Amino acid sequence: MRLSRSLSITSLSGLPLFEEESLPVEDLLLFEVAWEVTNKVGGIYTVIQTKAKITVDEWGENYFMMGPYYEHNFKTQVEKCEPPNQAIRAAMDSLINNGCQVHFGRWLIEGSPYVILFDIGAAAWNLDRWKGDLWSACGIGLPYHDREANDSLILGSLVAWFFKELTDQLQDKLNVVAHFHEWQAGTGLVLSRSRNLPLATIFTTHATLLGRYLCAGNADFYNNLDKFDIDREAGERQIYHRYCLERAAVHCAHVFTTVSQITAVEADHMLHRNPDVVTPNGLNVRKFSAMHEFQNLHSMNKSKIQEFVRGHFYGHLDFNLEKTLFFFIAGRYEFSNKGADLFLESLSRLNYLLRVHKSDVTVVVFFIMPAKTNNFNVESLKGQAVRKQLWDTAQSVKEKFGKKLYESLLRGEIPDMSKILDRDDFTIMKRAIYATQRHSLPPVTTHNMLDDSTDPILGNIRRIGLFNGRNDRVKIVFHPEFLSSTSPLLPMDYEEFVRGCHLGVFPSYYEPWGYTPGECTVMGIPSVTTNLSGFGCFMEEHVSDPSEYGIYIVDRRFRSADESCNQLTQFMFSFCQKSRRQRIIQRNRTERLSDLLDWRYLGRFYMHARHLALSRSFPEKFRPEHLNLTSTQGFRYPRPSSVPPSPSASIHSTPHHSDEEDDDTYDEEEEAERDRLNIKAPFSVGADTDGKRTQPVENGN
Amino acid sequence: MAADQAFVTLATNDSYARGAMVLGKSLKNHKTSKKLVVLIGPHVSDQSRAVLHNIYDEVRLVDVLDSGDAAHLAMMKRPDLGVTFTKLHCWTLTHYSKCVFMDADTLVVSNIDELFDREELSAAPDPGWPDCFNSGVFVFCPSNETYGKLLQYCTQHGSFDGGDQGVLNGFFSDWATADITKHLPFIYNMSSIAIYTYLPAFKQYGANAKVVHFLGQMKPWSYTYNPSQRRLKGDMQGSLDPSFLLEWWALYSGEVVPLLMGDYGDQPFYSGCEEDVAESTHVQPIMSSAERKQKWEQGQADYMGIDSFDNIQKKLDVFLK
Repeated sequence: MRLSRSLSITSLSGLPLFEEESLPVEDLLLFEVAWEVTNKVGGIYTVIQTKAKITVDEWGENYFMMGPYYEHNFKTQVEKCEPPNQAIRAAMDSLINNGCQVHFGRWLIEGSPYVILFDIGAAAWNLDRWKGDLWSACGIGLPYHDREANDSLILGSLVAWFFKELTDQLQDKLNVVAHFHEWQAGTGLVLSRSRNLPLATIFTTHATLLGRYLCAGNADFYNNLDKFDIDREAGERQIYHRYCLERAAVHCAHVFTTVSQITAVEADHMLHRNPDVVTPNGLNVRKFSAMHEFQNLHSMNKSKIQEFVRGHFYGHLDFNLEKTLFFFIAGRYEFSNKGADLFLESLSRLNYLLRVHKSDVTVVVFFIMPAKTNNFNVESLKGQAVRKQLWDTAQSVKEKFGKKLYESLLRGEIPDMSKILDRDDFTIMKRAIYATQRHSLPPVTTHNMLDDSTDPILGNIRRIGLFNGRNDRVKIVFHPEFLSSTSPLLPMDYEEFVRGCHLGVFPSYYEPWGYTPGECTVMGIPSVTTNLSGFGCFMEEHVSDPSEYGIYIVDRRFRSADESCNQLTQFMFSFCQKSRRQRIIQRNRTERLSDLLDWRYLGRFYMHARHLALSRSFPEKFRPEHLNLTSTQGFRYPRPSSVPPSPSASIHSTPHHSDEEDDDTYDEEEEAERDRLNIKAPFSVGADTDGKRTQPVENGN
Repeated sequence: MAADQAFVTLATNDSYARGAMVLGKSLKNHKTSKKLVVLIGPHVSDQSRAVLHNIYDEVRLVDVLDSGDAAHLAMMKRPDLGVTFTKLHCWTLTHYSKCVFMDADTLVVSNIDELFDREELSAAPDPGWPDCFNSGVFVFCPSNETYGKLLQYCTQHGSFDGGDQGVLNGFFSDWATADITKHLPFIYNMSSIAIYTYLPAFKQYGANAKVVHFLGQMKPWSYTYNPSQRRLKGDMQGSLDPSFLLEWWALYSGEVVPLLMGDYGDQPFYSGCEEDVAESTHVQPIMSSAERKQKWEQGQADYMGIDSFDNIQKKLDVFLK
């Protein structure tokens, strides 16, 4: 996804440039192995796809991605070509001449990286022998019934075989770095190490296998992290063999990385190794040529959402759309892990606060989480039809009125207003108004749910009683399908929708990284995240007072569920109290954080991981780097904790100030200074790793 | 005539050897006046052999594949009956006039020397098909002539159940009808199956049991035992009444393990007792490597035991150094 942002005078262009001694990439080959290379399964696809450009920019033709071959993917995403390197050609030929199929090409994404894809099916006849090899090397067996595990072994065996042939060809001419993502590719790492191949190996887990299972089933995962008997837990869930493959890869890698501080904590307990490097996930950020274009896009797309709201809430439009805020939560339907449970409870508290404060602000909350449905419900479609009919009626009457006005003026007369519209026109308008009468409340969900009675979101909505009643200031729209620009209901794609909203709310309990708040940030949309999400940890570390920059971090790690819920409620309530101008200023600040999330900066951590792996596997040629000595920058003058909090909100005792009287000012220079004080460059990679190696140094060739 | 009569058992691997050790100890503890003989296969370890020598009067190695005799020739025709041929070897113990064969997964809970008053072939009904006798406990008279006929029978008829019980029931085919005195009371071969097929009878007569037979997949040595708490760990579904299992383990941990320790010396070995496992530096697998791999492939890795990740990590460290 290519997210765009505007060029701002106070853009964070002042961030320090790279100071690292760059690797001699012309003497190296870099391979990145993942099940999701050209094969979209989940979020890892986004990571490796968006990271490809910066890696190609650095490594050029010495960078190759490896994954499984699927004919459809190859035909639609890859341009077949010949390998530029003779050793790679020879290694591929060696596999091909022994009955396997290997395909080479350029992946048609930004950066156009080379890909080497292995046909799993064509090599399946080796499975029993390779199971024997895995058993001999590690003492790990794979169940017959686990197709995914067996496929990962085939891929891993092919990859290890390829590296064997490649390193034999290369001898000492080029050193090889091999980066493996997740347990599905990790088997290749284990087999390569068991054969003592001269590779610098990196293993990245984006979320531990067991952690995700435990979070789904255990409500208090983080407080019990140190108490789990992990072999037993994996065994009882019948994922023991996968868990062993993952831990074996972690144990064997020269360098182990994960995507955030919170997953580092998880990995320490679930995999018994502390990550050497945290490698946050980035995005590709393109700058707009027009200043503040993102604010214009916000305005345009907000109008589209308002149109939907006019239709959905027809007959109940007694709230001011100009005083309505759009909040949303989006992602895979994981009710607890995504924090939808906390969010719903918090919304009921927000509704209460807005009502007792007699606020004129209305919040429409969208849940964009795919679930099983059998199409739109009639009520939602009717709403949009009624809105369109009203529009057509208004246009028709307007046209007739204009025509008569014109004719009257031509005759030199001021028209008689009581006669300019005839009786038929009033009849048409009255009939249109009667059509907006409604005996039911606006529907909470836009589709007919297959599991209506058991759906956890709907169940909780029933419990908290938010049914879009007139007196409720919080309205809910559950859209159980991904957005589409061709939808008859809400014709917007995801990016347009996000840009039109005011606040993204992602109070995740289990979120190894969290792309959704990052995407909001790049679009200049404030968002709520937690300190249990990688993105939240990253922002907490790099931005002092993140709320000012539109990043609200709920503490779900050290607070009880009720306290977290209250904190989230307060964040949303304080957001509701912002004036329009204050929201505009905040969006500017949010958007300036985009640079922090750009792969151009975050790719730095991957570079460090590669360097570290090379220094451990080929210590004579590569020295450990001492990055921490040169580039660490602490915060300067963070907000003192002794500053008294702002007065809490109170019921207005005087008429509300208009926007024109708002005393907020926007001074570009002041904003730039604010950024310098509050934002820490993401170049610190933690403690000096020299002398703290957890792996024995392998003898280099 | 005590000197020429013997109890005979068979152990083809170290697991059954442990069963044989406990069986031998239980016979002696109940003051048998008969000799004790154990037939062993070539895969029994030296340490197990040493302990068996300690308990048994005679330890005889039987390697059917290594002999040029009739058994080997029969094996060539019926390779599926491998273990059966080893067991039939008990008929060659002609220096004894009468013997009682007992499987290694049996436990004696009182003196049973009166079995030697019975004639060949005496045995208890099999609980699954009472007109067949269970071959876990039987009285026989060693004879080379009978041995030859048994081999010939195997060659011609095979075994209807693939094992020795099929062969012996075929050969002694009139057991069901000919002579009621050759039917042993069930209490001489009481199997765990009795507990759940006719529980009231077990409650009524179980206390009179003389021999307990641990039929089925789970053997006593498949469990883990905590001596200080006198408790077992493992799947207990098949044994509603663990008292006999506990008796087996008390005997094993109290009298057999010390012998094993004596013979293993400084070498670590897997005793099955919980305290000992903690002390040992290396767990020697009971199952073969191929058997363990098969368990993994059935989704039944021993993740709390031999297949724990700590053990996998040790294996990984071999090539990481």
